[in-house]
Amino acid sequence: MDFIFAGFIEAIHLLFGGDGQTWSAVAATLKSSSGSMAASLTLGIPLGFVLGYFDFPAKRQVRLLVDTALALPTVFIGLVVYAFISNRGPLGEMGLLFTLTGIAIGQTILALPVVVALSATAVESMDRHLRTLLISLGANRRQLLLSSLWEVRYGVLAAGLTAYGRVMTEVGISMMVGGNIKWHTRTITTAIALETGKGMFATGIALGLVLIAIAFGVNVCLSFLRKK
Amino acid sequence: MFAVSQPIYRIENLVHRYNNEPVLAVDRLDIEPASITGLVGPNGSGKSTLLKLMAFILRPTDGQIRFNGVPAVPFDESVRFQVTLLTQDPYLMKRTVYKNIAYGLKVRGDRDNLTQSVHEALAMVGLDPDAFAQRQWDELSGGEAQRVALAARLVLKPRVLLLDEPTASVDAASSELISAASMRARSEWGTTLVIASHDRQWLYDVCDEVIHLFKGMPVGTGRSNMIFGPWIRQDNGLHVKALGNGKCLTVSAPPNEGATAFIDPAAIRILGKGEGATTAHTAYLDGTVSRLSLERPGGDLFADVRAGSLTLVVRVSESHLAAMTLHRGWPVTLAYRPDSIRWR
Repeated sequence: MDFIFAGFIEAIHLLFGGDGQTWSAVAATLKSSSGSMAASLTLGIPLGFVLGYFDFPAKRQVRLLVDTALALPTVFIGLVVYAFISNRGPLGEMGLLFTLTGIAIGQTILALPVVVALSATAVESMDRHLRTLLISLGANRRQLLLSSLWEVRYGVLAAGLTAYGRVMTEVGISMMVGGNIKWHTRTITTAIALETGKGMFATGIALGLVLIAIAFGVNVCLSFLRKK
Repeated sequence: MFAVSQPIYRIENLVHRYNNEPVLAVDRLDIEPASITGLVGPNGSGKSTLLKLMAFILRPTDGQIRFNGVPAVPFDESVRFQVTLLTQDPYLMKRTVYKNIAYGLKVRGDRDNLTQSVHEALAMVGLDPDAFAQRQWDELSGGEAQRVALAARLVLKPRVLLLDEPTASVDAASSELISAASMRARSEWGTTLVIASHDRQWLYDVCDEVIHLFKGMPVGTGRSNMIFGPWIRQDNGLHVKALGNGKCLTVSAPPNEGATAFIDPAAIRILGKGEGATTAHTAYLDGTVSRLSLERPGGDLFADVRAGSLTLVVRVSESHLAAMTLHRGWPVTLAYRPDSIRWR
């Protein structure tokens, strides 16, 4: 048990002592996850709204596909993205393998179904009276869509938060597509896996604490936004 | 040259279906500007669907609704800022009371004196602006929420205000305030009101015309008695509906056991208690006068007569009035011809 306790003490030293490697992993994680979240929210919220709000042929089949994609294993996404962006792959010339951009692409594929499915569920749960209310107050089609989305903002926030949780904690994509390169593509989760494998618990625990702190910070911000 | 006033609504050959099932069929209906029209009918008679079509929220399956002489459909600029509907459920957006009421004005780009307009609308429905404007949508009682919902419509000073059972789910005080505020819209801005309600008496009191809807079709106007089955066949070939207290309403052969009977209030005579005995030609029913009221447009006197679980509306003719004294609580006997009953 002593090594775990010692790990906590060491973690505090690493974090507050400004350890370069630790903060490099933190920065890599924030960069890749920010990029993937921006892309998945930009694409996923409108798609989720369309899926939840409108009736169209094959809607059930699309929903089934999206729900299935919720359970995509990160290593499978890593494998597919690797295959596409490796030198032999169709996108090999873009030089995305072992870059944070490559990781962000994989994480976008991971987060997108979460944002689409949960946004669609939030929109589906929207009160049926809302449409009547908005039209009877004079809303045009664009105002109807925007105001409806605003009404389900808490559900959409929850969708984003859940997706962010998945992106922050995945290892498979970062490891396979990023290659876990020190100072470059080493993220918090790949670093924890590596350091634990080497028996360096202190660094692993320090990085774990950072992950939890980020999750806590995001939740505090969202809680503040909800109150507003 | 004379200016000929045109109806604000002209509905022609309107048919609306849900999942291919027809729910509403109106051959022709005109609503005059600044009038108050009542819609009565049992649940499922098409009142709410008609109001949603008139509010241009739904597009009719077939037929046309002309607004101010021009055919219109949902989102048309000619109707978007003219008509507003208040539904039975007091639904509000997840915002403050202020933002809920200001929404319609903002949609119209009308941002001048926003606060003053919102406060005036709140005052109109009997809510203290200082106490309520900044409350959240979920900090209101059912009656307050419905009044805020009405204020969100009144702030728009609409040309047409459609009310779908506006007082059905609120307390008596809120109901009174909602009624008064709606009437004020007509008197102050000439707003045309169309009100669907189960409160027939209120409609008869305030409306210029009351339209009866049944199974998706207008079946008449003015006061009417609509009596639902089941009808029980008797040995003498007549059918009856049990009304409790040993009383029963006798009718001629209904088309089926669950048919609905319509009895014209003018086809019922009021007699002194105990006069007459039911025969094949005339049926008699003992009851008690529960209310006397004067019809707004025609000035005719009507009596509500309670017989067991049923209340029948009877038009009181001048000869009746001359022959007998009527007042609330007075026991009477009603006489009518079973073959004068219309069936649906």
